[in-house]
Amino acid sequence: MWFFRSNKKRNAEPEGDGPAFWKDYLRLFRTPLPAQTPIHEVPFVVFDTETTGVDPAKDRILSIGAVRVCNWQIDISGSLECTIARHDSNTSPAVVIHGILPKERPNDLEEREALEKFVRMIGNSILVGHHVGFDIAVINQALKPLTGSGLKNKRVDTGALSKRVNPVSGPVYPAGPLSLDDLCKQYRIRPSDRHTAAGDAFITATLLLKLLSRLRNRGVQHLGDLLRSR
Amino acid sequence: MIRMANTISTRIHDYLKDYPPFSLLDPHQLAELSASVTVQYCRPNEVIFRQGEKPEQRIFVVREGAVQMVRQEDDREILVEQCDEGDVFGIRPLINEDNYALTAKAVEETLLYVVNVEKYRETWNANPKIAHYLASSFAEGLRRNYDTHFKNRLFLDQDRYIDGHFHLVEVQSLEYSKAPVTCPSKIPIQIAAGLMAREEVSSIVVVDEKQHPIGIITDKDLRRKVATGLVPIHQPVEQIMAHPVVTSKKEMTVADAQMDMVKHRIHHLVMTEDGTPDTPVVGVISEHDLLVVQGNNPAVMIREIRRSRKAAELKNIRQQAESLLQKYLYQEVSISYISSVMTEINDALITQVIRLCEETMEEEAVKPPGVPYCWLTLGSEGREEQLLRTDQDSALLFGDVPEEEYPAAKAYFLTLAGRVSTMLNECGFDYCPGDMMASNAKWCLSLSEWKEQFGKWIFEPIPEAILHCEIFFDFRPVYGDSSLAAALTDHIFESVGRQTIFLSFLAKAALQNPAPLTFFRGFVVERSGEHKDEFDIKARAMMPLADAARVLILSARVGRINNTIKRFEKLAELEPSNAELFQQAADSYGILMRYRALQGIRNRNSGRYFNPSELSKMERINLRNSFQPIQELQSLLNMRYQLAYMR
Repeated sequence: MWFFRSNKKRNAEPEGDGPAFWKDYLRLFRTPLPAQTPIHEVPFVVFDTETTGVDPAKDRILSIGAVRVCNWQIDISGSLECTIARHDSNTSPAVVIHGILPKERPNDLEEREALEKFVRMIGNSILVGHHVGFDIAVINQALKPLTGSGLKNKRVDTGALSKRVNPVSGPVYPAGPLSLDDLCKQYRIRPSDRHTAAGDAFITATLLLKLLSRLRNRGVQHLGDLLRSR
Repeated sequence: MIRMANTISTRIHDYLKDYPPFSLLDPHQLAELSASVTVQYCRPNEVIFRQGEKPEQRIFVVREGAVQMVRQEDDREILVEQCDEGDVFGIRPLINEDNYALTAKAVEETLLYVVNVEKYRETWNANPKIAHYLASSFAEGLRRNYDTHFKNRLFLDQDRYIDGHFHLVEVQSLEYSKAPVTCPSKIPIQIAAGLMAREEVSSIVVVDEKQHPIGIITDKDLRRKVATGLVPIHQPVEQIMAHPVVTSKKEMTVADAQMDMVKHRIHHLVMTEDGTPDTPVVGVISEHDLLVVQGNNPAVMIREIRRSRKAAELKNIRQQAESLLQKYLYQEVSISYISSVMTEINDALITQVIRLCEETMEEEAVKPPGVPYCWLTLGSEGREEQLLRTDQDSALLFGDVPEEEYPAAKAYFLTLAGRVSTMLNECGFDYCPGDMMASNAKWCLSLSEWKEQFGKWIFEPIPEAILHCEIFFDFRPVYGDSSLAAALTDHIFESVGRQTIFLSFLAKAALQNPAPLTFFRGFVVERSGEHKDEFDIKARAMMPLADAARVLILSARVGRINNTIKRFEKLAELEPSNAELFQQAADSYGILMRYRALQGIRNRNSGRYFNPSELSKMERINLRNSFQPIQELQSLLNMRYQLAYMR
């Protein structure tokens, strides 16, 4: 009895810490999405963050934009867009690009609130972003003091995905990392609201649909196919 | 201002707000709706919904790509509509509970905005503009219609054209009459009046030896002070002149001139070198001149036409009529009013040209034959539909003369017609490329010759004859003895009555040019699916309607209604069972006339050919919708005259 209880407690330990939203979040990962889930049933969340710089260890989140994609549709009503209140007056070069000034505004959320909203929205969806590794690293950095751990979701990088669709490198498709702007041009996506988190998330979602459609023609039918090779 | 809470729905909002029915929504509803949109991806050839399926409470807007609407008939797929960016489709759930009548299929990689309309169905149907839009764009089965509700949205983006095309007349600088008529102060009133009469002016400026103005005499002074016997005519002009003279500088606008006249209660302004009475006179401007410059008064134009003696003057006035036309078109003045004004102006101009030519011949002592004649206009002017100066189509009809007098009469009328035609050309009316003009010996005939000619066309309807019928059957007398024209009309009805098969030939000819299916991006899409980049609005949309109206009105034995719109309106009255179709045909024709005139004004040509990419989205939708009655009229003709059996 005692042994049993202790065992259970040890198993449950990762869920024990952190705020309620985090516990709810972790619970969702008890049953992972099956690898044979058809692509059109896979819940994706496409997101983007704007930050004060490019170093996840040092820089902070300015805004998060995210949209749900499922069944070849982008759901606008369920989208997330929030800017995060800054309490310092450091203006970094990134501010100049994103146009978000470090001034307090009534609609701003505290970082903690924004993270909670984001985590509740994503659930166990597949996270998608353009060079998504960076955005996840930034989110994780911010999450750690709150939750003690980082995001558990499977992830898909549209940068890597575009190379799967077009493995040839050459003058048309450069070998280096492809920028979102390049891909917009290639896939004829209107780059409106670039450099806002929500705008970029929406563009990336459109790109995801176009890439998935092309991969579908090459046999990527299930979640497993999508996650298998990078 | 802070950034709006949701960038994405704002972007969707900005897109939807330009296209009906979303452009008709109130801003709150549109914002709410934009936030609930779903963006759907479709791969090439993906079916969006199928014919026979039950619709869900949603409608679709093409954001990117293209969608074809097809009807499955047995084993065939018939292309009904092709939608591109901004087109709304699948609106059936808003109209009724039926299943989809068409299949929607993505032609290429396509992004759609899917709008859930469950919440809006009732409010939309309660809003007359939206309900009207829905009814009119409900493609299959129902006809599309225009009425006054929707009329002011025909040119959704008219501001685009008004900028840069319209000069504000009020700030236009004035062209005052050069070489003003002047006289010294000591000359007798009689001499001054003679001078005014010779120069055809309404005022004369009294000047000193340095040509500085010291007074002015107008028609009014002569009436009030001289004709009444107050001042004898041998008195010097200084006795009756108004002085001091109100002068102004020569660089002034219409508005300045108007203000000066109002302020000083005068009808003439004297312009001097520096604007003061201490410099020489350079011009005079009258209130009447201002009216003419403003060119916004058809009555003034017609009066001016009747006063003109030179082709250049007439050309000028007709040019002003064109600005009037443009203004009317943009202001969405009713097309019947526009065409009646333009027809009045054209008729006045033609009449004046004929009178001037008659006078010239008289001066040259060419004796007119003692027989009445009638000048007929044909084609679009005959139908009272010539808004722009397209080509001249005319014929001359003279009374029967004894055989021995015929050559002289014919020679006179041919000479006259030749001169008229040349002068009309100088006024900006091109010669008819097919030489269907009174100056052609073939179309300058006596009444019995014309009767014979029409008889030939009616009883031997070979293709060439039918072609002539399409032009000559719309004749209308504009000058001379119209009883001759009436006699000809009677004869035609009598002949048509004896040869009813003729109408079938005419009806068959009316089917030769079916309207295209639609516009897609910059192209005209034919029913065959073929794409072309040039649209011939006359041949592909207007003539099919005009031809159908002619056949039907001839069948109905209604004479003396030439105007296509009026013909359809009359037909609607005569045949209540088809009234709706005829009324729609009339509306469509009005819309087509507008577009043709607008294109002509924009491109400074006849407006007949244009590339659909020159049109805005809304214009393309309107134009495409106006094709609908053409197709239905053509199938009506097909049935009524059993043309399927004709070879």
